[in-house]
Amino acid sequence: MNLRVKFTKENYLKYISHLDLMRLFQRAFRRGNIPIKYSEGFNPQPKFSIANPLALGIASAQEYMDIELNENIPIEDFIKRMNQELPQGIRILDAKYIEESKSISSLISWSYYEIKFKANNIKDSEELDKLVKSWLKEDRIMIKKVKHKGKKAIEKDQDIRPLIGNIIISSQSPLASLQLINLNCLLKAGDNGNLKPTDFIDAMDGYLNIGIDFNTLNIKRLGLFVEREGKIEPPM
Amino acid sequence: MIDINKFDKVLKKVEKPARYIGMEKNSIKKDLNKVKVKFAFAFPDIYEVGMSHLGLHILYNLINNEEDIACERVFAPWIDMEEEMKKENIPLYTLENKEPISNFDFVGFTLQYEMSYTNIINMLHLGGIPILSKDRKEGAPFVIAGGPCGYNPEPIADIIDFFVIGEGEEVTLEILERYKEFKEKKSSRLDFLKEASKIEGVYVPELYQVYYKEDGTIDRMEPIIEGVPKTIKKRIIKDLDKTFFPSKLIVPYIETVHDRIPLEIFRGCTRGCRFCQAGMIYRPVREKSVDNLLETAEKLVKSTGYENISLTSLSSCDYSQLQLLVSELMNRYEKDKIGVSLPSLRLDSFSLGILKEIEKVRKSGLTFAPEAGSQRLRDVINKGITEEDLTTAVSYAFSEGWSTIKLYFMIGLPTETDEDVLGIKDLGYMVKDMFFNQPKDKRKGNLKVTLSAACFVPKPFTPFQWVGQDSIDEFNRKINLLRNNIRDKKVTFNYHDPKLSYLEAVLARGDRRLSKALIKAWEKGCKFDGWSEKFDFDKWIEAFNETGIDGDFYALRDRNIEEVLPWDFIDPGVTKEYLISEYKKAKKEELTRDCRLGCTGCGVNKCFTGGVCR
Repeated sequence: MNLRVKFTKENYLKYISHLDLMRLFQRAFRRGNIPIKYSEGFNPQPKFSIANPLALGIASAQEYMDIELNENIPIEDFIKRMNQELPQGIRILDAKYIEESKSISSLISWSYYEIKFKANNIKDSEELDKLVKSWLKEDRIMIKKVKHKGKKAIEKDQDIRPLIGNIIISSQSPLASLQLINLNCLLKAGDNGNLKPTDFIDAMDGYLNIGIDFNTLNIKRLGLFVEREGKIEPPM
Repeated sequence: MIDINKFDKVLKKVEKPARYIGMEKNSIKKDLNKVKVKFAFAFPDIYEVGMSHLGLHILYNLINNEEDIACERVFAPWIDMEEEMKKENIPLYTLENKEPISNFDFVGFTLQYEMSYTNIINMLHLGGIPILSKDRKEGAPFVIAGGPCGYNPEPIADIIDFFVIGEGEEVTLEILERYKEFKEKKSSRLDFLKEASKIEGVYVPELYQVYYKEDGTIDRMEPIIEGVPKTIKKRIIKDLDKTFFPSKLIVPYIETVHDRIPLEIFRGCTRGCRFCQAGMIYRPVREKSVDNLLETAEKLVKSTGYENISLTSLSSCDYSQLQLLVSELMNRYEKDKIGVSLPSLRLDSFSLGILKEIEKVRKSGLTFAPEAGSQRLRDVINKGITEEDLTTAVSYAFSEGWSTIKLYFMIGLPTETDEDVLGIKDLGYMVKDMFFNQPKDKRKGNLKVTLSAACFVPKPFTPFQWVGQDSIDEFNRKINLLRNNIRDKKVTFNYHDPKLSYLEAVLARGDRRLSKALIKAWEKGCKFDGWSEKFDFDKWIEAFNETGIDGDFYALRDRNIEEVLPWDFIDPGVTKEYLISEYKKAKKEELTRDCRLGCTGCGVNKCFTGGVCR
């Protein structure tokens, strides 16, 4: 029995890593008496997988995981028991039994982020909007990616233009002396191309020279999406 | 509370920010305005180390069980966090309420290893608390300390307002009760210190004067006011089944050093290894009952969700009901995939059945501690194990599929010769040969033998407390002897830094004149000295020179039996006569039996009853 679960990772819980989150769930399953399946072998591990690992420091309003159960338990029960055991920043929002054999991580293809920051070299959000619009007209947007192979670090050029989807820019507080920019963007995620929001921000700051104050940068994932026949929709 | 906007800002800039946020499962956050006493439990190292310490969990829950007292945690921030905190003017704060530690009634440090002393100074400084006890004014927190290093409190006597010697469960509550009365009466700081000094196990350094001889050794130590005890008797819990043990443990978000349930099965050790301080100061042995342990385990599994239970003690294979306990735990938890682990395996009590039972769920490398390379030297230190014990254990391990074997040794033990040192290599090679002497089709896995050598540090309240340590040069010579002789791909040799062990020896057997050198070293930037990448030996030597301290006087000098030792005023139950007789027996290579087999007259039963000493 496979259960697809939607949950949040917010507030200070954004400061725990993907592996920390895995451990946290493992222990919450045990405390909550969730009949989760374990792998075989000397070091049995609970069978669950999180759709798309979130980088440390990034919050999320919608995360997904698939878990394998030994027996069917009512959904409401599952949600209630888990939420009793989880810290405030992590809430199970929804769960659903699924038939699908494809793993959740292979289904995900887009991630939607809300990125907030202040930028020293621009007047307001309209100015940034214009700059970004013309930037996206470029055929290629190149960034340097450092890949670690063993002890060696290899620098590689990568074109991220195909990994960038829609971008919506607005301003948060028109009264503040330095405006807080609110940028929502859809970026490729998953096995077939993945763009980290931090790489995107670095690229934008580099190309447009807008002088982002990284102290003010706040990134939150708003949702994960699958692409079915050209349409982007939620995974459950 | 600290400024949360600033706090949010710094969290973005540091590695592992989850060290600093608190809010873990089973942590306890009370309204600080509604409690009578605020106690900050301070661990002078980073979160991952401190959270692995069982004593923290015991005292945290014990104190928080008192409705009108709040206990909150504080750890040493790592270097990056310290810098950010300084930039933003954030004082050192507790994890629960993010309250500056200077607003607490007590800041209680646990002293687990000497090399954390500079972190204590640093934490006080970051918390805006005067470093020297004498500079703390009315209203400042009482800075107190306890733990194994408290058995020689003198090197930090100028810094700590008072020490608690021995086990803390009962005495901590007595102190806090006394403090409530003091707070209501609004008496002076000194009045409370005088009052506290009357509690058994409490040592207030400023109420004593130390007199020195011309040669620098101690002439005598005397209380400066009446009514203050001349000797401080350690505190112990008589019956561990009746004392407090938490039913909940804080479950950290990030991986800690010991990320599992610590099920404490007994205290004390009956083996009597002559180098071992824990084996002497934690006497007598007191076991918990199987029923009690199973009940505790059940509560802890439910409240934490941990996947492993570790049976902790100084020598877990010595637990008289080990077979029963392990079988019961396995029966109950195997289906839930909860493993059981034994952190301290002894070769001689290596119970094949038990190990086999445990490995059904999880399997890891095996670690043994022969401590010395030759039988002669193992007799000197009273580590009563033989080469045969090792071969039996290792051949069983190989046949059951283990292939990673770690052997722990010490170099620089009293009477050690080069032959003893090379015995370390011989044992490692013997293990390797045993592996390859198995028929090829019987060999399982890829053999890895690790020989690890620590530099011997003589410790107070051991039969070797009078012994001069090997010099750094001599340690290095012995290390090189081994390095040059161990030339095998399958056998790895690693060793501790002799400079660090030298400093540890200075601090372990130092007196109160060292406080100023410690502060000087901290002023020069020393902290996290136990972390090899942060340890700066040259700065320490400068600090010694500038404060007129001769490190060799404390570390290298052979002391006379008659000499007054800085820690002589503490009574750990084990008598000095016993330690002397053990020292003499060591020189004669004579063994002393395990006192479970019959009393060996250490004296602890004269002051304390309980456990095997009944």
